[in-house]
Amino acid sequence: MDTILLYPVFIPLAVGFVLLFLPRRATPLFKAVTLVVSLLAFVCSVLILSRGEGSYHWSILELGAFRLDLLLSAAPLGSFILMFAMGFGVLITLYSLNSRAPIARSNEYYGSILLTIGGAAGILLSNHLLFLLIFWEIVTASLYILISTGGKSSNFAATKSFAMIGVSDAGFLLGVGIVWTLAGTFVISDISVATTSALPIIAFLLLMLAAITKAGAMPLHTWVPAGGEYAPTSVMALLPAALDKLLGIYLLVLIVKSLFTLDPNGPLTTVLAVIGAATIVIAVMIAMVQHNLKKLLSYHAVSQVGYMILGIATLTPVGIAGGVFHMLNNAIYKCCLFLCGGAVEEATGTADLERLGGLGAKMPLTFISCLIAALSISGIPPLNGFASKWMVYQGVVQMGQTQSSAGAGLWPVWLVAAMFGSALTLASFVKILHSVFLSRSPDALRDVKEVPWAQTLPMLVLACLCVVFGVFYEGPLRWFIFPALGITDGPAIFIGSWNSILATVLLLIGVGVGVGVLWIAAFAKKVRIVPTWTCGEIQRNDDMIIPGTHFYKTISSMGGLKQMYGGQERGYFDLYNQGGRVGLVLTGMLRWLHTGVLPMYLTWVTLGLLVVLLCLVAGIW
Amino acid sequence: MIQALTNLFWILIFPGFVFTLAVGLVAAWLVRKVSALVQYRVGPPVYQPAADVMKLLGKEILIPQDAQRAVFVAAPLIGLSGVLLLSTVLWLALAQREFVGDIIVAIYVMVLPSLALILGSSASSSPHAAIGAGREMKLVLSYELPLLLAFVVVIIKTSGALEAGEQLSLVAIAQHTPVLSISGMLAFIVALLCVQAKLGFVPFDIAESESEVASGVMIEYSGALLALWKLMQTLMLVALPLFLVTVFLGGIGTSVASVLGGVGKYVLVLVLVILIKNTNPRVRIDQAMRFFWFYCGTALLAAVVLATLGNYYGVGWL
Repeated sequence: MDTILLYPVFIPLAVGFVLLFLPRRATPLFKAVTLVVSLLAFVCSVLILSRGEGSYHWSILELGAFRLDLLLSAAPLGSFILMFAMGFGVLITLYSLNSRAPIARSNEYYGSILLTIGGAAGILLSNHLLFLLIFWEIVTASLYILISTGGKSSNFAATKSFAMIGVSDAGFLLGVGIVWTLAGTFVISDISVATTSALPIIAFLLLMLAAITKAGAMPLHTWVPAGGEYAPTSVMALLPAALDKLLGIYLLVLIVKSLFTLDPNGPLTTVLAVIGAATIVIAVMIAMVQHNLKKLLSYHAVSQVGYMILGIATLTPVGIAGGVFHMLNNAIYKCCLFLCGGAVEEATGTADLERLGGLGAKMPLTFISCLIAALSISGIPPLNGFASKWMVYQGVVQMGQTQSSAGAGLWPVWLVAAMFGSALTLASFVKILHSVFLSRSPDALRDVKEVPWAQTLPMLVLACLCVVFGVFYEGPLRWFIFPALGITDGPAIFIGSWNSILATVLLLIGVGVGVGVLWIAAFAKKVRIVPTWTCGEIQRNDDMIIPGTHFYKTISSMGGLKQMYGGQERGYFDLYNQGGRVGLVLTGMLRWLHTGVLPMYLTWVTLGLLVVLLCLVAGIW
Repeated sequence: MIQALTNLFWILIFPGFVFTLAVGLVAAWLVRKVSALVQYRVGPPVYQPAADVMKLLGKEILIPQDAQRAVFVAAPLIGLSGVLLLSTVLWLALAQREFVGDIIVAIYVMVLPSLALILGSSASSSPHAAIGAGREMKLVLSYELPLLLAFVVVIIKTSGALEAGEQLSLVAIAQHTPVLSISGMLAFIVALLCVQAKLGFVPFDIAESESEVASGVMIEYSGALLALWKLMQTLMLVALPLFLVTVFLGGIGTSVASVLGGVGKYVLVLVLVILIKNTNPRVRIDQAMRFFWFYCGTALLAAVVLATLGNYYGVGWL
């Protein structure tokens, strides 16, 4: 009986619930309470991880075969993700402390952050499918409230998120029901269903849909960019960038590794691989042409999920470990990137890439963090994004050579999609770095200042984690990932080699060689600061700015791609819009029937009675 | 300790900085000499590339006042160290020693010079450089797709003969000659064009194009900083053909005869690159993208299918 498992779940939930109903004026109180509670949850999660396995059991209800128990257990996978999830909670709370971003209804904002933290802890510790579902819904509902604190237009985004995640959650409920009928229990650790017949496959697909929608993979991804545009950036950094990835991929690993037994040569891995590879490439292609910093980042939050899903789809130890490691790495750099985006928006008042520029020297700490995170997400060695992508690639190669399903036969497609996606990611972050931090500064941004320490600190912490988890990538693997996935032979699962520590040292030596050359040269002549060379023409500063938004027009105007981009812009590929259209047709039919004329209704009632009568007569016969 | 010193020796002296630089300066001379021969000129003496770099080192460094100075100065350093790492890895792989990383690592490290060039030019506050940076990035995107497909062909061609756990090792791949098959030949030709673009040589010198954007990415660089860029390009002249030799042409080997053969392979690749450079006009960036994505991409898709079929039916020459 480990009562410590209760604290990170129920303390934030209870406090968060109370905060929702307090008057809005007490913002400083909310901040203090949220910081204390999130720190408490973080400390508890560290204790839970360090103590290893444990469980809490409280029987609530027993009706025949139906048992409702509050079952919490600290499994290796859940408790390691828990620690990071709680860590993100603390960092985001810290970031929000003196953020000047306009947040409507601070009581709901801080209350929902605590609800999210508690809900996430509940999901990660729960060993009972129904409770997992309840906590899952708590996180969904608090995401709705959090996005809607972003001001006027955010209600639309909040509704969209809630509708899309809600639909997938309905599938989740159905899937849980099917699993219960198949396995006869809700206890996660006791379930293991073979995916050989239709019903388990349907259940698997339903649960998978819930997992990937939460994580933000295609085709149900469009809530992420919608939120990215209107929600406060701290919310994006907390949920779609970090926690939703952790939770969605946690559920995916759970269903792939524990709830179901997947046949490596069956069709389900192919489905996952297709979703993964398509998500990587399509989302990043859309991201590349965005003009809004936050929207661009949101599309990358979608794209990166593809690597995790692809890694898990390979069903090889190195691929799954790579996918889970990428989940962790992505949460780190993506959270950092959103925080940087938020800082830029706060300092300059805009997230429009065409109106930014030259902030590198004005906001050095934000720039450094953003640079490191941007290079990480693009998979530049020796940062953490490279380490996990490298593992996913190995998983794909190994899948092609050891398995015999259709998906395994197509491994070159997955590999090229994933590796080329990485190049496209680099391209869109070059665009961000150029348009925001490098290039020239517009006159309007002359007096921009760095944001206060409470905002730069979380960014710097996350950027440092990017470097540490990249250079010493074997550390997090050995401490967290391998135990969590039950991999006992450690680095023996790799089929490639990557000595990142040596590479880093050698890169530093290489930089040293360059510095040496410069140093020798500096003796010979002085350094002189000169105006920019403009071929003799005198130009206004603002006319000399070439924003990065023009970089990829060559691609978006290429034959074939142009039509795709046009269709995407108009929302043709958005299931939310298409679903809405179908819904309109359905309600249109009802509206057509709903005339308000009494004889019409009477006719329908009579017809209905007739049908019932006929059925009854048929039944008696 | 001894291991650390050995690593230091490798990266700094042999086969790292000093040795690669020496080879690179000779290669740079070869580029100019062969170009001169093509154009019925005499060409420069063998020490000319070295003399050029020495001259640049003695010049004043100019930094634009609106530049993001830290990035402007750091970019050539990062580019240089990236190529240095790449060439050391490749040399040691040719000497049958697994060092630092596998082929995926090599492909990713290869992006560092271009990335450094983009960041440096983007930081230099010049509109010409900004246009150059955009073009360089698009060029990277263009050749990356066929290069990755070529890499997949190599993996398919070699994996049959390799043990599990070795499929990605550069040392193991260097023992094979995928070029001796239809798909391998296609992959080699396309990879050669990718190397052409990576080196920034005509017809793919779009990012620098002197006549349009006044050497674009490098417009604001001068003195020792420009010398560092030139050094980086000199080292790339060694590293990139070497990559082709390692991956497609069966490496260099250790016996005297095979080393001579290896040198021949390197010179062959280099001369091919120089001849393409001297017989083609510069293309526009959209033409380059279309060329790499559609034409090279289609050719390599065919190569991937051929290689897979060849593996499946055990036909080596496919």
